[in-house]
Amino acid sequence: MGFDAPLSPPHLIAQKAQLVAVLERLCEALELTPTQFELAKQRHEAVGEWLAASPDPRLRTLSIYLQGSTALGTTVKPLGRNEHDVDLVGHIADGGGVPPAILKKLIGDRLRQNGHYRSLLEEMPRCWRLNYASEFHQDITPSVPNPLCSNGGELVPDKTLREWMPSNPKGYRRLFEQRAALQPRMRLAKGIGFRGDAATDIEPYPAAGGFKSTLRRAVQIGKRHRDVYFDTIDPGLAPISVILTTLLARSYEYCVTHFVYDNELDLLYDIVRHMPDSIESQVIQGRRLWFIWNETTNGENFAEKWNNDPRRAEAFFGWHQRALRDLEVLAAAEGLDQLSKGLRGAFGQAPANKAMDALINEMSDARRNGRLGVSPGVGLSIGSPRATGVRSNTFFGAP
Amino acid sequence: MNLRSNPICAGTGLLRAGRLVWRYTTSPMPLSRAYQLRIEYRQDGVPHVFVDDPDLTRLAEGRRLPHVYQQRPTPRLCLYLPRAREWSSWMRIDQTIVPWAALWLFYFEEWLDSDAWKGGGEHPLSKPAACTLCLRRWPLGGN
Repeated sequence: MGFDAPLSPPHLIAQKAQLVAVLERLCEALELTPTQFELAKQRHEAVGEWLAASPDPRLRTLSIYLQGSTALGTTVKPLGRNEHDVDLVGHIADGGGVPPAILKKLIGDRLRQNGHYRSLLEEMPRCWRLNYASEFHQDITPSVPNPLCSNGGELVPDKTLREWMPSNPKGYRRLFEQRAALQPRMRLAKGIGFRGDAATDIEPYPAAGGFKSTLRRAVQIGKRHRDVYFDTIDPGLAPISVILTTLLARSYEYCVTHFVYDNELDLLYDIVRHMPDSIESQVIQGRRLWFIWNETTNGENFAEKWNNDPRRAEAFFGWHQRALRDLEVLAAAEGLDQLSKGLRGAFGQAPANKAMDALINEMSDARRNGRLGVSPGVGLSIGSPRATGVRSNTFFGAP
Repeated sequence: MNLRSNPICAGTGLLRAGRLVWRYTTSPMPLSRAYQLRIEYRQDGVPHVFVDDPDLTRLAEGRRLPHVYQQRPTPRLCLYLPRAREWSSWMRIDQTIVPWAALWLFYFEEWLDSDAWKGGGEHPLSKPAACTLCLRRWPLGGN
């Protein structure tokens, strides 16, 4: 969809706008609700205060902050579980030179001193988990400053808890937010060639609010599709979330700075299409190695596991092809029933049903409130001044 | 009948021996199918709305279509409750029947998927509830 892409016909644009509206609702159904988010925030602040009030002088320099999808605004409910993952960093400013296992133990000991946290506590390989049943669980990973990183990076335990390895959750978040804030160039600014075009006599789909944030929605859509796709294959081979997030964020930056779009759906598809472009690969001593570097610190390769198990790389590319195809199927769906089937196949039953129900309920509410109309070329529309109103009726029928 | 002047039902009409036949293509939503509708209306009669294409019974895969007066050969839609006078002959078809047909098709596509008709309404004589509602609406026993 470069500069030369022809302008889509108005009906196609209305279709794409409606699909964007449906996907937006699907993502809303998958993410932490604002209430859950607020609750998670209160709880992590409380646990941060408890840890920092420790008699141990090292823990007194601890500050706790969000990392991962909750920090980025890209949460997706895990498959088959009620709890969202909320990832936290417990950064110990004064923890330099202490082995990771010791710092992790310090945090665990302090949490156990509190009866409430003790009842929620679960030990994980690199972190401590607080389980808030049927809401979310909070993972607290210890970190210390990385004196070698000029970008304010940190060190986090490796899986064996023997070594510190570089990471930069705050820097990663900053870069992601910078990219997400890039505004795409849309050929159809509001009202141009659309509302004002008497020849086509078509209005934009009025109920479409568009994506709240195209990059964040792309990440949620990608992650959810991955979860559903790998659920029946081998969840162990699935690309980790930070890979999808990084590739989509880079692709988003590339697309919005190189191309002009006439609708958000084309942009979304293009972001997904260009995902693999920034994966680096080299053949070293007969072995193909993969690199997806964390750009905000030195030495963190998100694709490290691909180099131990080449099936992971294959699995990524297989998933990517399938995700593109499933998105194309959605765009080509004819009829709300086909759309609903496509959504279920790609994203699972629960969010698909919620997205469709939201669409139906919006229409039914507008019908009840007398705000429903029919617009030429669009069909049912809400609150559109040029529409022919839908008067009150009662569907009847033969016995 | 204003069908000709309203762009939401742009189509072609035939008027013969006091009977109007209006054909147009419509989609209830951008993501819906395109449906070919036929409205037949005789002066002082009631408009009959048929779906000529696609074949709704084929789409329904053997299920009985909800809210129709006839399933075959061409489904005829039941769009309003005659006793409630939701439609009268002085009303414009393009402002009543046409929007209701779009609404019917919207709920129909959803019904295809979920098997639940979410557009409300009544099926007369099939359930006691329908009769109760008629009595409630017409307490004087009229009609």
